[in-house]
Amino acid sequence: MSKRFLTTAAVFAAATMTASVALAQQPGVTADTIKIGTFGALTGPGYLYGKLPMNGVDVVFDEVNKAGGINGRKLELIREDDRCDPTAAIGAVKKLVDQEHVFAIVGGGCSNATFAAKEALETSKVPTVIFASVHDGITTPPAANIFSTATTSTIESQAQLAYAIEQGAKKIAIISMRDSWGRARYTPLMEAFKAKGIKPVADEELSPDANDATAQVLRLKAAGADAVLMLLYPKPAAVFIRDGQKLGYKPLALGQTGIADPAAFEDQVGVPGATANFRTISQVRYTPEDPKVDKWRKLVETKFPGDRLSVYNLFGIGASQVLVEAIKRAGKDLTQEKVVNALAEMKDFQTDVYAAPISCSKEDHRCNKSPAWMAKDPGGPVKVLGYTTVGK
Amino acid sequence: MLLFSYLLMSGVTTGALYALVALGLVVVNKATGVINFAQGEFFMFAGFVAWTLHVQFGMNYPLSFLLAVVVGFVLGALTDRIAFRPIDKNDIVSLVLATVGISFMLKGLARVIWGGKADYLSFPPITSPDPIMVGPIMVIPQQLAVLAGTLIIMLVFAAFFRLTRAGKMMQATADNARAARLVGIRTDHIYTLAFGTGAAIAGAAAVLTAPLTLLYPDIGFTFFLKGFAAAVLGGLTSLPGAVLGGLIVGVVESLAGGYIHSSVMELSPFIVIMIVLVFKPTGLLSFHKARRV
Amino acid sequence: MFGRRNVMLALLALAAIAPPFANGYQIFVGNLVLIYILLSIGLNVLVGYAGQLAFANAAMFGIGAYTTGLLQVHFGWPFWAAFPCGGLLAAAVGTALSLPALRMSGLYLALSTLAFAQATQWVFLHWDAVTFGAGGFKTPHLSFDPIPISKPLGLYYLSLILAVLLYIFARHMVASRVGRAFVAVRDGEVAAESLGIDLLRYKALAFGISGLYAGIAGGLYSALLNFVAPEGYDLFQMIIQKSTIVVGGMGSVAGSVLGAAAIILLLELLREFKGVQEIVFGALLVGFVLFMRGGLVSVLQRYVRGWDEPLHAVKPRAEPAPLPNPEPQTSPVEK
Repeated sequence: MSKRFLTTAAVFAAATMTASVALAQQPGVTADTIKIGTFGALTGPGYLYGKLPMNGVDVVFDEVNKAGGINGRKLELIREDDRCDPTAAIGAVKKLVDQEHVFAIVGGGCSNATFAAKEALETSKVPTVIFASVHDGITTPPAANIFSTATTSTIESQAQLAYAIEQGAKKIAIISMRDSWGRARYTPLMEAFKAKGIKPVADEELSPDANDATAQVLRLKAAGADAVLMLLYPKPAAVFIRDGQKLGYKPLALGQTGIADPAAFEDQVGVPGATANFRTISQVRYTPEDPKVDKWRKLVETKFPGDRLSVYNLFGIGASQVLVEAIKRAGKDLTQEKVVNALAEMKDFQTDVYAAPISCSKEDHRCNKSPAWMAKDPGGPVKVLGYTTVGK
Repeated sequence: MLLFSYLLMSGVTTGALYALVALGLVVVNKATGVINFAQGEFFMFAGFVAWTLHVQFGMNYPLSFLLAVVVGFVLGALTDRIAFRPIDKNDIVSLVLATVGISFMLKGLARVIWGGKADYLSFPPITSPDPIMVGPIMVIPQQLAVLAGTLIIMLVFAAFFRLTRAGKMMQATADNARAARLVGIRTDHIYTLAFGTGAAIAGAAAVLTAPLTLLYPDIGFTFFLKGFAAAVLGGLTSLPGAVLGGLIVGVVESLAGGYIHSSVMELSPFIVIMIVLVFKPTGLLSFHKARRV
Repeated sequence: MFGRRNVMLALLALAAIAPPFANGYQIFVGNLVLIYILLSIGLNVLVGYAGQLAFANAAMFGIGAYTTGLLQVHFGWPFWAAFPCGGLLAAAVGTALSLPALRMSGLYLALSTLAFAQATQWVFLHWDAVTFGAGGFKTPHLSFDPIPISKPLGLYYLSLILAVLLYIFARHMVASRVGRAFVAVRDGEVAAESLGIDLLRYKALAFGISGLYAGIAGGLYSALLNFVAPEGYDLFQMIIQKSTIVVGGMGSVAGSVLGAAAIILLLELLREFKGVQEIVFGALLVGFVLFMRGGLVSVLQRYVRGWDEPLHAVKPRAEPAPLPNPEPQTSPVEK
C-alpha cells in the first residue's frame, strides 16, 4: 500500500465527509416523524439496565404519539444492542448515528459500555440523555451534547456515606462487586471517605453470582462494622443479608439504585425479619407497586405482556420524558443544537418518576441529583424516607 | 475454631450446589465423552419452569419438582438429537460449540419469557426459612436439603451404574462404543438416555437450590464453570469424584475468603485445580477407562 | 476462476478500495473484521492444525491490548513502540502455556487453559494500580503523522496490511515442515513422536504463534476502541473466536478469513433481531455445526475448484515423488 494511495484515500474520505455535512439538513427529522435512537443491553446479563428502561421509553413515546406527537411529528424509536460490551456499544452508537441518522439518543445502560461510547456520542453532536449508566466519566467533564438523568455514582456514594454517618454509625464498612458497575461506585465512595477524613473499617468483595457470603459476614463482624455500604446487585446483597441474619450480624445495611425495590428485595432475601435494618437509595420516587405509577404500570404491562412494571422501566420513563420536553421546547423548527440548548437550560422540570425536579445547566450535565431514601419494615409497606440532594 | 467450622460448613453447603451441577456433567461425560456446555442453562430453564408452575400457577411442590425433572430430561434428550448425535464424535470443538449454541438459545428464550418479570425471581423453600442450629453452627435448613439431595442423587446414580442393565450398558458404551455396538447395545439410545439423565439432574438441582440462589436468565454460566471445574477435579467420569470435586471447590473458596481475603475467593479454586492437574493430569478419582474393561 | 487465490485477491481489492466510500460505522465494523481475522488465524493454527483444545486465546488478546495500552499510559511510550511489545508479550505468555499442554490433553487441557483465562481476568480486575481495575482505561489517541490520514482510516489500513502479511505468513507456515508437524501432533502424539517430532517444541511453537497473533490483534483493538476494560476479554470473547474457526473451517487459513468475516458481520446483521439475537445466534451456531460440517471452506472445497489447501508447497506435477509421502495426505479439515 503506497503512501500516495493512503493520501488519496484520506483526501477522498475528507471530501465525501464535508460534502455530506454541507448537504445535510437535520438528521432523522421529517415533516411528521422524528427518529430517536436508544442503545443498551438487550441481551446478556446487563439487559436489566438496557431492555427494561427501553420498554419504559417505548411506552412514553406511544403516549406522546397518541396525543399527536411533538409539534405534529411522531416519535420513532430505534433500539440497538450493546450486550454491555464496550465494542458493541461503540458499534451501536456509530450505527445509530452514521447509518440510521437518528435525531437524538436516549439510552446507555452499562457503565463501561456507555463510557467507551462517549467519544462516539460526543463527536456525533447528537443530543443524548443517559437513562441508567452511572459512571462519573460520562458526565464529568461534560460533553456538550450528553446529559444524564441517572443519579451518577458520586452522588449516590456520597449520599450513602452521609446517611450512614447521620444515623450515628461509627465503624463503616464496604462490601462491593468488583466489576465495572461496582468499581464505578467504589472509587468515588473511597474519595467520599477521604473527604470526610474517615477510613472504612473493612473492605470486602462479593461476586455478582455469589451464593454464600459467610466468609464476608464473618470478616465484617470481626471488624465490628456497625454500618455496611453495599455496592451490590440485589442477588449478592440478598445472599449477604441472609447470611448476616444466619450469623446474628445485623448492621445498618445501605443499598443504592441497583436495589431500588425494597419489597422485591425482602422476598429475595427470604428470611423473615432479615431486612429490618436495610435502607436503600432510588433514583426514582416510587416503587413499582405504588398506586401513583398505576398509569405506567398499565401501559407497560399491556404493551409487554407477561412483564411486571419494574424500577428499570421507570428509569426509561423519566429519561424519555426529559428528552421529549427538550424537543418540545426546541420548537417547530427543530435542530439538534436547539435541543441541546433546551436540555442545558432545563430547570425544575417535574417528571412522573424522579424524586425531585430535573435541572441541568451548561456546566453540570448531571440533571438528577436527588436520590430518594427508602425502607420497608418486615411485613410492612415501603416508606420513602425523604431525599438528599447532593452538590448544588 | 468456631470461625473454621463456620467456613467449612458454608464451603460444604456451597460445594453441594457445585457438586449437583458436576454430577449432571459427569453422567453425560461417562457415556459420551463430551462436556455439555448447556448444563448450566438446563438448570436455569428447568428452575424457571418450576417457578412458573409452583409460584405463578400454584401447582403443588412435589408435582412442580417432578415436572422440572421431566422438562430437564426432555431438554437433554433434544440436545442429544440436535447437537450431539449428528456430529462427528472426534470433532470436540464442534461438539462444544453446538452445546454453546443451545445454551445461547435457552438463555435468550428465558430472557424473553421471564426477563421482564423481575430482576431476580425468588422461589419459596420447602423447609422453614428460619435458620436452625446444628451443633454450635447456624445453618439455613434449605442448605441441608441441598446437601442431602446431592448425596441421594450420587448414591442413586452410583447404584444405577452398578446394578441396572441400562447403567451397565451406559458404562460399556463409554468404555468402548464400537465394542458396545458389536454386542448389540443401541448406543444411540444410550446417548439420549445419558443426556436426558444429566439434564434431569440439573432440573432437580434447580428446584432444590433456587430458594438459595434466586432465579435469573444468566445464573447458569457460573454454575457450569464451577461444576466443570469440580468434575475435572474429580476425574470427569467418577460420581464420587464429582461430589468430592464440588466440595473441594466450595471449601477452598470459603477458606480462602475467610482467611485470606474475599477478593481471592473466585480465583482460588482455579489455582488449586491448575496445581492438581499438573500433578494428576486426569483428575483425582479417575481411572484409565481402557484398562479397566 | 473462483479459486482461493483469486477470491482472496478480490476481497483484498475490495477491502482496500471501499473504505473512502464507507461511513464511520462501516469502517468500524470493517476494522473489527480485520482484527478478528488475525485472531482466527492464530487460533486456527493452535486448535485446527495442532489440535490443542485451548481456551486462553481471549486472555492473550487481552494481554496484547493491556500491554499496548498500559505502556502508553504509564510510560508515555508511543503506540508504535508499545504495540509490538504487546504482541511479543502475548507470544511469550502463550509459549509458557504450552507447558501444561505437555501433560494434559482434551477436556483437561480445556479446563486448565480456562483456569488460566480466569486468572488473567482476575489480574485485570484486581491489579488496580497498574490495570485500573474493572473500570478500564482510555488509551491516547493514535496519530498517523506525518501521513495525512484520519485515525479510523489509518488504523483500518494498518490492520489490513498486518492481516495480509500475517495471512501470507500463516499460509506458508502451514504448508511447510512446521505445519505438517502440527498436523502430526494433532492426529496422534505417539505417532508424531515416533516420526521424530519434538512435542515440546511444536506445541510451544503453536501456542506461541497463536499468542502472537492474538497479541497483535489486541494492540489494534485497543487503538480501535481507545478504551481497554476487562469485559472485552472474557469467555464470551473466547466463544466468538471459537465460532470463527468452526464456521470458517478448522485447519484452514482461508477458512479463518471467511469465518471471522462471517461471524462479525453476522453479529452486526443480527442487530435487526432486536432482543432475540441470542436465540438466533445460538441457532445459527448449531445450524452451522450441523449442516456445514468442516465450515464454509469445506463447502467451497466440495463445489468450487482451487480451494484445497495442501500441506506442502505446490510442486510441479511432472516430478515423480521418489518415495511415498510419509505424511498421510488427509484433507486438513477432516481428521
